[in-house]
Amino acid sequence: MKKVIIGLRLEFLNMALVASVVALLGMFLPFVSTSSDKLSLLRVMGSSWIMVAAVVLAVIAAVLGIVNFVRPSIWGVRIWVIVAALQTLTLTVLLFASKSILDGSGLLSESFLVKSFGIGYWLSLIAAYVALVLSMKTAKINTGYIVLVILGVIWLFPILWVILTSLRAESGYYVGYFIPKGFTFDNYVNLFTNPSVLPFGKWWVNTMIVAICCCLINTMIILATSFVLSRTRFAGRTTFMKILMIIGMFPGFMSMIAVYNILKGIGLNQSLLALIVVGAASAAMGYHVCKGFFDTIPKALDEAATVDGATRLQIFFKITIPMSKPIAIYTLLTNFLGAWSDYIFPSILFGDKQASYTVAVGLNWMTDFRRIDTYYTQFAAGALVVAVPIVILFICLQKFYVEGMSGSVKG
Amino acid sequence: MKTAKNKVNVSAQEKKDPISIFIRGDIFTKLSFIIFGLSNIVRGQVVKGLIYLVAEIVYIAYMIQTGVSNLAKMTTLGTQQQGMVFNEATGIFDVVQGDNSMLILLWGVVTCVITAVFICVWLVQLYSGEQARRIQLSGRKVPGIIEDAKSLMDDNIHKLLLAIPVAGLLVFTVMPLIYMILMAFTNYDSSHQPPGNLFTWVGMKNFVMLMSTSDTLSATFWPVLGWTFIWGFVATFSCYFGGIFLAMLINSKGIRGKKAWRTIFVITMAIPAFISLLIVGTMLGERGIINVLLQQWGFTTQALPFLTNVTWARVTVIVVNMWIGIPVTMLMVTGILMNIPAELYESARIDGANPFVQFVKITFPYMWFVTTPYLISNVIANFNNFGVIYFLTSGNPKTMDYYQAGKTDLLVTWLYKLTKDSNDFNLAAAIGIIIFIFSAVFALISYTRSGAMKSEEGFQ
Repeated sequence: MKKVIIGLRLEFLNMALVASVVALLGMFLPFVSTSSDKLSLLRVMGSSWIMVAAVVLAVIAAVLGIVNFVRPSIWGVRIWVIVAALQTLTLTVLLFASKSILDGSGLLSESFLVKSFGIGYWLSLIAAYVALVLSMKTAKINTGYIVLVILGVIWLFPILWVILTSLRAESGYYVGYFIPKGFTFDNYVNLFTNPSVLPFGKWWVNTMIVAICCCLINTMIILATSFVLSRTRFAGRTTFMKILMIIGMFPGFMSMIAVYNILKGIGLNQSLLALIVVGAASAAMGYHVCKGFFDTIPKALDEAATVDGATRLQIFFKITIPMSKPIAIYTLLTNFLGAWSDYIFPSILFGDKQASYTVAVGLNWMTDFRRIDTYYTQFAAGALVVAVPIVILFICLQKFYVEGMSGSVKG
Repeated sequence: MKTAKNKVNVSAQEKKDPISIFIRGDIFTKLSFIIFGLSNIVRGQVVKGLIYLVAEIVYIAYMIQTGVSNLAKMTTLGTQQQGMVFNEATGIFDVVQGDNSMLILLWGVVTCVITAVFICVWLVQLYSGEQARRIQLSGRKVPGIIEDAKSLMDDNIHKLLLAIPVAGLLVFTVMPLIYMILMAFTNYDSSHQPPGNLFTWVGMKNFVMLMSTSDTLSATFWPVLGWTFIWGFVATFSCYFGGIFLAMLINSKGIRGKKAWRTIFVITMAIPAFISLLIVGTMLGERGIINVLLQQWGFTTQALPFLTNVTWARVTVIVVNMWIGIPVTMLMVTGILMNIPAELYESARIDGANPFVQFVKITFPYMWFVTTPYLISNVIANFNNFGVIYFLTSGNPKTMDYYQAGKTDLLVTWLYKLTKDSNDFNLAAAIGIIIFIFSAVFALISYTRSGAMKSEEGFQ
């Protein structure tokens, strides 16, 4: 007779128990096998609390497995899953921590490398993962969590590193450890208090001015262009769109030198105004997404307004713009981000004139190999100062971004 | 009855090319081919006509003063090289200012663009004069300047709203582009730098040098082109499938806190790419934290050459690009995934399809159908993906086989280096044109293909 418990899938229980017991057996097999030494996990467990935890958790997991095998219950299996997850976590941590633990314990006569892990460790690690997956399946928990946690750690690792570096008291690029020895906010303070050496505050303000002007002007131009291309029909409309497409296929900065010369000719070179003007001048090419959105607004609205005597300009300001809030915000956001992180043109435009740098050029300047040792911690702090406002803005406006982006896919 | 007949006549006459305007126009229309705005002035649109006339006078004055000589100089790009002449009176060598080929070319292009604008004005005033004539003939009132201004807000709104974008594009995009395209046919390289030296027209020589098989230039061009293609496809599809996988994972049943998970990944995409790339670049250096940790963890005894060995660097660049690109695809794909009708999956499950078969038979075809245009533009964007390569490796590792390029350089980063570091503008321009040709051909082929797809009944 087959037992059935609502909320559990017992067909996985037996296999999970086997895996859990195999993980336990791994403790007695060699954990380390170098040419001179063979040590099991039990022999080395005294050298660190992580090792103790690994052994204890393996025992508890196996015991819980047997308990659940005899008398399965929903909560029993859930607790088992938690213990199995902790066991897997400690074994994974051991993969990275074993070297320092064993090198420090003096149990080994030669230095340790990952390749000297014995069969016991690998068996335990794999069995622990299998047991975790199977017990989660028994408890009807989505096993995708395991993958998501691993991916999440990989994705957040560089960010964690920057945050730690920006708070590090010891300067210098090369340090032999992950977590700083001393914490300080000086890196942030120095960014803004040393304008003669490192005018970061100026760069930040420069970038802010350019980004705000650019995103406002560009958005107006893009909205106007899209409106005209979507809602009106005039001679040369398709030709205009084709020309824009062709221009767009040339790599943008190919003509930067010529633009630079033209700006020089009208006396605008090395000024922030040049960035804004050039940005606005080519803004119209980014009309696609916005036009795609306007195309979906029913024409009947326009016609009704025309019957009521509205001019097209009024339709644009009073009907189309209020109706396209998501796409307007999307355009604002992308243009702000674009201006905020533009590197190529400012780098050509400003050359050595440090005071006009934008943050992109400035931060790149700081990571040059001649300066990286001096500025690395401040670079990390600067990167965060630049990134954090954007990240907050982005997460708040994520909804609009997704809407705009799915619009761009369909269009 | 009479009005109807009139209408037919008018529509038969409506051919709007200059010749038919000339044939059917009266004497003023014919004269307005030479004297701008005359036809408008005669028919009461005085202000408009005068504006056209002033435009003509300004253009002619400009051409007489500098325009003609600008165009004439363009044929040679300067003949007088800057040099030293011994001045016997003072006893020293004086610098004699020569021609500046770069400025000659630039002003030549400016003159050409102004001339093109002038021709447009000529056409516009012809049509406008013809329209005024026809309105007068039909007996209605010819609109004055105020009515014209009002129509800018309504029927002619495209003229109002497109004026600034078009002017901007003309000055800062089209004009520089023409200038650079012309430059591809000169020898404006590192050894022909104005004002000290002249450069001149060389025809297709730059392209021949790049494409032939004997030079270091072609020894650079072909491998860089090959890597650009590999990079474009691998970078696009790795992010595409990674993003679909991640989105399906987060969207799958039984995952709680979908929004929180999504936010974790979105953080990396919200950080401006140049920052995350610079950070990851420093982390992967020989003394960077990743090498430090790998040695500490006992995975290796010496630093891994993430960015210094050719193969390592290429793989690293692709992997880091996935780190940046997967969240973008994930976010985009999420919405599309939710649009797939749930019944499809249900019936598939009843028929006994496992998740893999469901992906291959339902999810993927649907995705592929919807996202083809996105993929195409993404491949082209990746051909031109300046940021990832420049901030991560700067095109390095360097090699002696290449001219001014490293082993991970794409065509665009090579173009940038040629422009900024070695001032080989002619080569940079030639490469730019080649990139354009590739993008255009690729887009053309794929868009016609996906157009064929669109004309089908769609998915289902």
